[in-house]
Amino acid sequence: MGELGKIHQILIHLGGYTATLNLETMIMTWIVLTCLIVFGFMTARKRALKPGPLQVVGELLVANLYTLTEDAMGKELARKYSPMISALFLFLLLSNWIGLIPVCEEPTKDLNTTLSMGTMVFVVSHYAGIRAKGLKAYLKGYFDPIFFMAPLNIIGELAKVVSISFRLFGNIMGGSIIVLVITHLCYSLILPPLLNAFFGLFAGTIQAFVFTMLSIVYISVMVN
Amino acid sequence: MTDIQTWVNASSFASAGIAIGFGAIGAAIGEGYAASQAAVAIGSRPEQSGDILKLMLVGQAVAESASIFALVVAMLLLFTPQSPHLINVSVCLAAGICMGFGAMGSGIGSGFPAAAACVGTARQPAAGGRLMTNMLVGSAVCQTPAIFSLVIAFILLFTDFSDRPLSPTWAAILGAGISTGLAAIGPGIGGGLVAKASCEGVARHPANAAPVTNLMLLGQAVTQTTAIYGLLISFILIFRVFPETETLSRPMALLASGICMGLGAFGPGVGEGFAGMAAVDWLSRNIRAAGELTRTMLVGQAVAESTGIYSLVIALIMIFVF
Amino acid sequence: MAIEGADLVKAAAFLGAGIAMGLGAIGPGVGEGITASKACEAIGRNPAEAGLITRTMLVGQAVAESTGIYSLVIALLLMFVVV
Repeated sequence: MGELGKIHQILIHLGGYTATLNLETMIMTWIVLTCLIVFGFMTARKRALKPGPLQVVGELLVANLYTLTEDAMGKELARKYSPMISALFLFLLLSNWIGLIPVCEEPTKDLNTTLSMGTMVFVVSHYAGIRAKGLKAYLKGYFDPIFFMAPLNIIGELAKVVSISFRLFGNIMGGSIIVLVITHLCYSLILPPLLNAFFGLFAGTIQAFVFTMLSIVYISVMVN
Repeated sequence: MTDIQTWVNASSFASAGIAIGFGAIGAAIGEGYAASQAAVAIGSRPEQSGDILKLMLVGQAVAESASIFALVVAMLLLFTPQSPHLINVSVCLAAGICMGFGAMGSGIGSGFPAAAACVGTARQPAAGGRLMTNMLVGSAVCQTPAIFSLVIAFILLFTDFSDRPLSPTWAAILGAGISTGLAAIGPGIGGGLVAKASCEGVARHPANAAPVTNLMLLGQAVTQTTAIYGLLISFILIFRVFPETETLSRPMALLASGICMGLGAFGPGVGEGFAGMAAVDWLSRNIRAAGELTRTMLVGQAVAESTGIYSLVIALIMIFVF
Repeated sequence: MAIEGADLVKAAAFLGAGIAMGLGAIGPGVGEGITASKACEAIGRNPAEAGLITRTMLVGQAVAESTGIYSLVIALLLMFVVV
C-alpha cells in the first residue's frame, strides 16, 4: 500500500532548471502512439475494393467518427477538424483500455496527459474562433451578454480546460485506486476482474467519448 | 491527558461512522425511488415484469457503487493504522466527511435514471435494450462526483502530513475534505436529473436515441463543473505547504475556503441539472429544435454557474491572499 | 496558543465570509437553473421564438442573481474592509 503514491520520475538538470519526466507515463504514451500508428499504416496500405478484416475495422471507425463530428459541427467544420477529433478519441480510448493489461498503466492516470490534451483543445478552439470570426468579433464575444460579464467569461474559458482535464483524470485514477484497494482488502478471484472491467473498459470508454464530445462542442461554440 | 495515538484512533473510528453514515443515505434514497417507479411500471404492465425487474436491479447496482466507495473508505479508516501525529486527527475526519457527503449526491442522482428506465420500458417495451444502454451511461457519468470524493479521501489517507506544521495544516486538510465532499452533492443530483430526462426521452422516441444521449452527456458534463471546482480547491489545500502560524485567523481562512466552495457548488449543480433535464426532455419531443435547445441550455447553464464561480474566486482569495 | 481578541475577530470574519458566499450561492444557482429549464421547454415548444425567449431568460436570470451579488459583497466586505 505504500507503493500507492510513488511515481517513478527522471530528473534532467539543465542550467539551473530541472525537467521532470514521469517514466511510466511517457513509456505507456509511446506504446499507445506506436500501436495507433502501426494500425493506421497497416489499414491504409492496401485499399482493396473487397476489404479485408483490418480495412473493415478502419472504415467503420472512420465513418462513425466522421458522422459524429458532422452531426455536431456541420459539414465544412467537420471536414477540417474530424481527423483531429478522431485521433483524440482513439488515443484516449486506447490509453484508457491499456490499463487492463497487467503490467501496463494508463497514461491518462497522470494529470499531465489530461491537462495537455485539454490545453490542446483549448488552443485549437480559440484559434478556430479567431480564424472564423476575426480578432475583433472574438474579443467582443467576451463582453456578451452584458459588459461586466467579461471576467466571468474569461474564468469560464479557463474552467472549461480544468473541467475536461480533471474529469478524465479523476475518473481513470479513481478507478485504478478502487481496484487496487479492493484487491488488497479481499483476495478474491471474482470481484477485482469485474471491477477492473467496469472501470477500465466501461467507464474508460464513456470518459473518452465525453472528452471528445466536449471538444467538438467547444470548437463549434467558438466558431459560431 | 490521553496520548496522541488514542486521539487518532478515536478520530478514525468516528470518521468511519461519518463516512458510512452519510454515504448510506443517498444510495438508499435513489434505489428506493427506482424500486417505487419499477413497482408502478409493473402495475401498469404486468407482462413486462421480467424486463422491468432486470432494469431496476442493474440501475440499483450502479447507484450502490457510491455507497460501496463509502464502505471502502470506512473500512480503511477502521483497519489501517494511522501514525501517532496530531495532524492525523484532522486527516481522518476530513476523509470521513469527504467520502460521506460525496456519496450522497451521486447515490440520489443515479436512482433517477433507473426509475425513468423502468417506467419507460413499461411504456415502450421494444426500446428495452436502448434504455438499458442509456441508463447505464447516464448513471456511470453521474457517479463522477463520488469518484472525485474517493480520490481526495485516498490522497488524504495515504499522504504523510507529519512533516508539516500543525497550525494551519489542520484547517487546510479539513477544508480540503469539506470542499470536495459538499461540492459533490449538487452535481450528483443534477446529473441524475439529466439522465432521467434522457431515459424518458429515449422511451418516448427510441429512434432519436443518439442525439438525446449526446445532449445528455453534454448537459451532465457542464453540471459537474462545480464539483471539479471543489476538487481543484481540495488539491490546492492538500498540496500547498503553508508556513507555520500562531494566529487563529489563518487556519479559519483555509477552513472557510473549503466550506465556501463546498456549499457554493450545491446550487449551480442542481440548477444546471434542471436546465439540462428540460433541454434533453424537449429535444426528444422536438428533434428539429436541437441547435436552439443546445445553445439555450449552454447559455442558461453558464449563467447559473456564476455564483459557483463567485464561490471559487472567494475560496481562492482566502487561500492565496490571507 | 494565546488567542488575542483581534485575532479571534479576524478568524470569525473569515469564517463568516466563507459561510456567506457558500450558502448564498445555493439559491441563485437553483433559481437560475429552473429558469433555464423552463426556457428550454418553451424553445422546445416553439423554436421560432428562440431569440426572444433567450433574451427573456437572461433578464430573469440577471434579476435572480441579485441575492448572490449581495452575498459576494458581504463576503468581500468581511474579508477586506471590516478587519
